[in-house]
Amino acid sequence: MSFFKLLRILIFRNIQENKFLTFLSIFGIALGIALFTGVKVASDKAIASFESNIQGIISYSNYEIVDISGIDFNENIYVKIREIEDNCFPLLQTFAYVPELKDSVEINGIFTVKATQFLKLIPSEAHFSNPESHSRGFFEKYNFDDFYRQTNAVFITKNFAARHAIKKGDIFKAIVYDREYPLKVVDIMDSDILITNTIIMDIGNFQEYFGKTGALSKIDIFTDEHNANIIKSVLPSNLRIERKENIFKNQTAIVKSFRYNLQFVSLIAVLVGIFMLYNTVFISVVKRRTEIGILRSLGADKKIIIMLFTSNGLILGTIGSIIGILLGQITAYFSTIAVEKTISTMYTAITIADYGINVKDAVISLLFGIIVSLIASIIPAFEASNIRPNESSREGSFERRYAKFHKWFFTSGIFFILAGIGISYIDYYYAPFTAPIFAYTGIIMLIAGFTLASSFYFFILLKLFRIPIKKVFGIIGEIASGDIYGNLHRFSVALMSVAISGALIIAFLTIIFSFRTSLNKWIHKNITADVYIKPASCRANYCFYPVSENVIKTVESFSEVSGIDKFRGMQVDVYGKKIIAGFADIKVKREHLYKKYKDENYEMILSEMEGDEPIAGISDFLSIKYGLGKGDKLPVYTPEGIVNFKINDVFSSYSTTSGFVYIDRKWLKKYWGLDDTTQFSVYLKENVDADLFIRKLRDSLKLNYSFEIMNNQELRNRIIFIFNRTFAITYVIEIISIIISLIGVVNTLLALAFERKREISIIRYLGGTWKQITQIFLLSAGIIATSGILYSILLGPLMSIILIEVVNKLSFGWKIYFSIPYHYVAAVSILLFFTTLLSGLIPSGVARKIDPERFITFE
Amino acid sequence: MIKLEHVDKYYGSFHVLKDISFEVGKGEFLSIVGRSGSGKSTLLNIIGGMDKAESGKVIVDNEDISSYSDDKLTLYRRRKVGFIFQFFNLLPNITVFENISMPLILNNIMDEEKVKNFIKLVGLEGKEKSFPFQLSGGEQQRVAIARALIHSPEIILADEPTGSLDSETGAMIMELICGLMRNLGKTIIIVTHESYIAQYAGRIITIKDGIIYK
Repeated sequence: MSFFKLLRILIFRNIQENKFLTFLSIFGIALGIALFTGVKVASDKAIASFESNIQGIISYSNYEIVDISGIDFNENIYVKIREIEDNCFPLLQTFAYVPELKDSVEINGIFTVKATQFLKLIPSEAHFSNPESHSRGFFEKYNFDDFYRQTNAVFITKNFAARHAIKKGDIFKAIVYDREYPLKVVDIMDSDILITNTIIMDIGNFQEYFGKTGALSKIDIFTDEHNANIIKSVLPSNLRIERKENIFKNQTAIVKSFRYNLQFVSLIAVLVGIFMLYNTVFISVVKRRTEIGILRSLGADKKIIIMLFTSNGLILGTIGSIIGILLGQITAYFSTIAVEKTISTMYTAITIADYGINVKDAVISLLFGIIVSLIASIIPAFEASNIRPNESSREGSFERRYAKFHKWFFTSGIFFILAGIGISYIDYYYAPFTAPIFAYTGIIMLIAGFTLASSFYFFILLKLFRIPIKKVFGIIGEIASGDIYGNLHRFSVALMSVAISGALIIAFLTIIFSFRTSLNKWIHKNITADVYIKPASCRANYCFYPVSENVIKTVESFSEVSGIDKFRGMQVDVYGKKIIAGFADIKVKREHLYKKYKDENYEMILSEMEGDEPIAGISDFLSIKYGLGKGDKLPVYTPEGIVNFKINDVFSSYSTTSGFVYIDRKWLKKYWGLDDTTQFSVYLKENVDADLFIRKLRDSLKLNYSFEIMNNQELRNRIIFIFNRTFAITYVIEIISIIISLIGVVNTLLALAFERKREISIIRYLGGTWKQITQIFLLSAGIIATSGILYSILLGPLMSIILIEVVNKLSFGWKIYFSIPYHYVAAVSILLFFTTLLSGLIPSGVARKIDPERFITFE
Repeated sequence: MIKLEHVDKYYGSFHVLKDISFEVGKGEFLSIVGRSGSGKSTLLNIIGGMDKAESGKVIVDNEDISSYSDDKLTLYRRRKVGFIFQFFNLLPNITVFENISMPLILNNIMDEEKVKNFIKLVGLEGKEKSFPFQLSGGEQQRVAIARALIHSPEIILADEPTGSLDSETGAMIMELICGLMRNLGKTIIIVTHESYIAQYAGRIITIKDGIIYK
């Protein structure tokens, strides 16, 4: 009872009085929580969609039979499997692109009679005991007559229909494999099981309509381990039966690392928010030290003081979190779009139709906000409780108490910094977890270490520059530097706000610049052909469905063509994990490479690949994950058994995060029995105009096929575009983190202005003008800005090294060339300096409103 | 009521209080007189449980408060002691009414009528909703006196209660303290450097360089 009275009198009223400060604190927390919520929702939805894709439409099956290379296989095997287990469902699947809807869809060819028993959406395994009884209603409900009779008939989901305003009977054109096909919607399915962008066709129609007669993509099975083992024994060497949960685990791990990174960056935003809240409560404690002393002398115990100031943080944090959750709906929308596009490009096409934050998300975000607010306010609250009753009558005891610990804080800070670096490098060398948890911890320890060391660093810096400051700025310099010198600990909090802001800017600029530099090098080395062609249905970096032989023949028939590098993308199995293999025509590549890229070493690598020994080049991901290097053997599962490819090249591949292996196509024929092409590049003869050639090629293909054709520069631009799009969400998160930290700077300077009301009043009484007071504030802000930026020059690069060398390496398997963009860093530092300087104007504006009489007459 | 036995207090190497021993009876009004820096405020803080002595005993109602834990000392201050400070030590952002209520709130015995009565008693009717900065020094000290007495503590400790006031207002405040003391029968210890203030007390002790001269 009495606590709530005290809360109302001492905390609520204070919050109300300092409106602008309260607004800044709440806004900072709200932004952090909005970002956290948005990223969480987007990642969750993306992963759920990704998992649904893996699970497939027969969601209750627990095994699946697929080709080891992820390609379609002969349907004959189905007969044998059915003899062993009746609960098996053949499927033909492919991704298609619908240009008029600007959306990708997954077309599923199903064995209708059998599969619909399961599509009838019985949410338990009970239907396996009596599937026929469950299927009856289904057949009565939907238009199966047309579904069977018309080869292009499809069922679409209710959500897909609603999303694109499609009605029963509508026809839309989809690019399937390398052609455009009209699809007729004969009915709309009301299904909870099917993901939004799923299209259902009868498997017979699918085979007929898309030219896939006799082919299957997979067979879903619901069976026990005993039968699974029997099935395994009858499968040919190119097929494999796998437990769905294992596929799940392997595939989602890749997407999860993407999620961890996003979530971590959003956590940095929250961390900056915590720091800001800490500042607010801390400054409030410092400012109200005398009041706390009075309360203690009146008999308020430590517990009450802790509860009061923790509640202060909790109130601000809770309001900020609630607003953050509301704002989170907006960030969730944009994050979901960004994540959907990124995953669709890097991994597999996913569609997320629902952007909404559900109650669970809101509760988690609110709890998270409350917990971080508690963490942020508990330290200053303890600080408040340690104020002795007799401090109410002693000025300066707070700073004196801290001054004693400067060196101790500094030593602890150095320890934290070194420990942070050390812990990060545990991940670098040993990578005990899939996610770079140690590296994340290391970054947080770095920030903590720099925070602890900040007051001593500021002390040394001021000791060195106090006299020059006095000489340059005269009495203003003397007051400003003396003020900071005497209140070092609280000014260190402001310095740290600038330092965190600066460090984030430097770290993120360095990462972006390093990525760009590395990507440009990669583009320069790899994008050497004149024209690039792939099926328009393929929206990802690598395509897995073969293009028609006729297309290759058409291209070959052009007199302008000097060579075609036929590329076959395929999933191969390495150490039980699916990675992407690219089979290229090394001979053609070698013959034409010199025109755009000269590198003797690379030339030698390609020359070796052309030889008789199975040789492969691997991406950094495989080298990092399995410790493989040049000269080692890479065991690849093929229909002919395991083939050990000798590794002669380890290269950076930014087109995938699941590992990439580069092999000459002659091995495709030898070990996989294939000679098809999924995408290809064309080298033109000297002096041929690539754009003219592309126009001619488009004209000759457009009647029968749908291809995406680009010249060299267009592809380069596209790669940069995809790169930017992929990292767009990261950029946004980073920008928001920086905004929060800048709010923190204003917040701290403002809080200090409130705290210095009495000093300002004294200066006014002594004859100081408002101009001089503004100058004092600006000079204080300038000293804080300069010291903070200098500090950030130490912290920022350290953070970026860990992010590039450890987090990036572990999460994406990419090697990035570390390079600091000095010009940008200098420009942004100057910008940060002036921003901080300007933020000094806000408190000086507040100071102008101070009534000196009030603060002098109080005593 | 209050008994000090061989109390010593140091600030670093500075020996502030040297072997202090004296007693104060229940209902007694004692003045401690001394110059600035003589140790009188430190002595008052030790009696009031705001500070601790390095050695010696401070016995209040037969209990040695020098052995009390921080929590017990807090309870002691909350229940048994009322403080009046030189600079009033009012909470600046709350009203007169709320300032006076504070000890009742902390003791969980809030009684609005009682607060109103005390406001009347110290002559501050109509100023209930004023903030400290809107009051004169004398009025602020009246608030402090009401706050010190409202929860009926047994001991009132006043540290230079008129130090921030002009002599006329100071005299009025002392009259008020004495009048209330007579009515309420509290034990009062006043620390002052002004001899005319000390004269209000029944007994005066002098402190110089940390040593008591009775």
